[in-house]
Amino acid sequence: MKVLTSIDHWLGRLELGIVIILLGMMIIIAFLQVVLRNIFSTGIEWVEIFLRHDVLWLGFLGGALATGNQRHIKIDSVSHLVSKRSQAIFHVITNLFAASICILLTQASMKFLGSEIEIKSLVFDGIPAWYVELIIPVGFALHSIHFLFRTTYSVRAAIGSGNER
Amino acid sequence: MNFWSVIFIIIILLLIGTPLFTIFAGFTLYAFASAGIDTSAVIIELYRIADTPMLVAIPQFIFAGCLLAESGASKRLVNLAQALFGWTAGGLAIVTLLTCSFFTAFTGASGVTILALGGMLYPVLLKEKYPDKFSLGLVTASGNIGLLFPPSLAVILYGIIAQVSIDKLYIAGVIPGILLIVILSAYSIRVGVMKKVPKVPFQWSKVFSAAKSAAWEIPLPIIIIGGIYSGRFTTTEAAAVTAFYVFIVEVFVYRDLHLVRDIPRVIKDSMMLVGATISILGIAFALTNYLVDQQVPQMLLDLVRSKISSPLTFLLILNFFLLVVGMVMEMFPAIIVVVPLILPIAKEYGIDPVHLGIIFLVNLEIAYLVPPFGLNLFLSSLRFHKPVFSIARAVLPFLLLELIVLFVITYIPQISLWLLHGL
Repeated sequence: MKVLTSIDHWLGRLELGIVIILLGMMIIIAFLQVVLRNIFSTGIEWVEIFLRHDVLWLGFLGGALATGNQRHIKIDSVSHLVSKRSQAIFHVITNLFAASICILLTQASMKFLGSEIEIKSLVFDGIPAWYVELIIPVGFALHSIHFLFRTTYSVRAAIGSGNER
Repeated sequence: MNFWSVIFIIIILLLIGTPLFTIFAGFTLYAFASAGIDTSAVIIELYRIADTPMLVAIPQFIFAGCLLAESGASKRLVNLAQALFGWTAGGLAIVTLLTCSFFTAFTGASGVTILALGGMLYPVLLKEKYPDKFSLGLVTASGNIGLLFPPSLAVILYGIIAQVSIDKLYIAGVIPGILLIVILSAYSIRVGVMKKVPKVPFQWSKVFSAAKSAAWEIPLPIIIIGGIYSGRFTTTEAAAVTAFYVFIVEVFVYRDLHLVRDIPRVIKDSMMLVGATISILGIAFALTNYLVDQQVPQMLLDLVRSKISSPLTFLLILNFFLLVVGMVMEMFPAIIVVVPLILPIAKEYGIDPVHLGIIFLVNLEIAYLVPPFGLNLFLSSLRFHKPVFSIARAVLPFLLLELIVLFVITYIPQISLWLLHGL
């Protein structure tokens, strides 16, 4: 269990680290582009494409962080009506369901990536599209891992040993 | 598995608190598979996230909003507004409405306004001898006001989903947004006069010192609102400028937030919100595509058309429907899911998509106050340690006034469209 929580912890830190870099680049590059556009009436060609893919990456890594911290949007209407134990059982079900959906999505995105590599599609100026699309399967895999971790925490809470984090 | 058992399972999963995007994803995968389409097509649709230029504004505005919420900006803002308007009858109430609007426009309807600003203003309102019930109702009702003003994310999201110009939506939202504030201010002044709330004398020195301490934040609404309304900036450009400017000001000028101690935490919080929003959005791209493929909006349209003949009846039912949706669902998913279904129907009844957007957003904004499930009632109950029932009662006069404004906005499209066509 200890190994599990520490893997979870370090995975979260790694994700946050990358997110900080991606957001920092987004803010600086987008601002520079505005300055270039409005003051020097010029602009860098690849910025637009870079920013749009930066959003994709931020979405997936931010989503993975949200999974790890239980911050995804949900409608939670019955959980405060039932006992702690039943809540934990609900969490086992919801996390397991979410994990299996994310595993299916990981599979689907690997297939998508495979076909993108095969047809050699490009994102910009000779750069293969799958370089930037790699975040889709990786992102869903991260979601799956976090949901599986959460499932084990919920199982432990449901059988009454240890608190749910 | 037949269709109805799938629906049944979805409802159970929803109720026990499964993350929404996984439910949508599960349904989408099931739908694609049963239509005989390879599930990798879901990913092709989802990849449209990287093909939607407007989305670039979302992480930047959310980050800027979180920075402002975590810094001392709210305090400086309230001081300034108090110095400017505190001398009128109901002055502090108007200050509450104005600062909450500003804050909601920047942070979205995420509850930050009630928790941070409401929590700060409620004790001050009481100290200035405003009635308890009125103050409680005011801070709760102010939690979503300002949703129509730039850089509100709800507007951006509606624009992306409905494929309507976001700049136009912001312009259309000016009069309805101001109308809401004016009506609630008028009510506050009435209460202020009737309850003989003492006024604070106007002092230039106070205005000056409050303006001086907020000097770096005053340009923000000017940059954004002025930039967007004058057409100098696009919304994405405004986002880039805002994020950069707010970061520099709060970290290096005011030093409210420490680069190492605070910023990673703010980035984490804001990007989790970005992730949660984009996860739902990406899946919704695929789901919407499937629904359109299966002609679901068309079927819905035929059904509605066979039952309702006049646009007015349609709008009335739409208002009611959206109040219920907004009461049980959070705003972003409600926009993402409901807009694609309603838009073609509304077009058929001759409703302008821009006007529909304003109706939609004002509806969802008000729904947060509708008992028994309106989210702001719960947030307020948590924050001020009062039962949800008494909050709902305190909010009632505000809710009724907002509903009146909603109906006026709904049935007189010119209120929203006048500025657009005038320009």
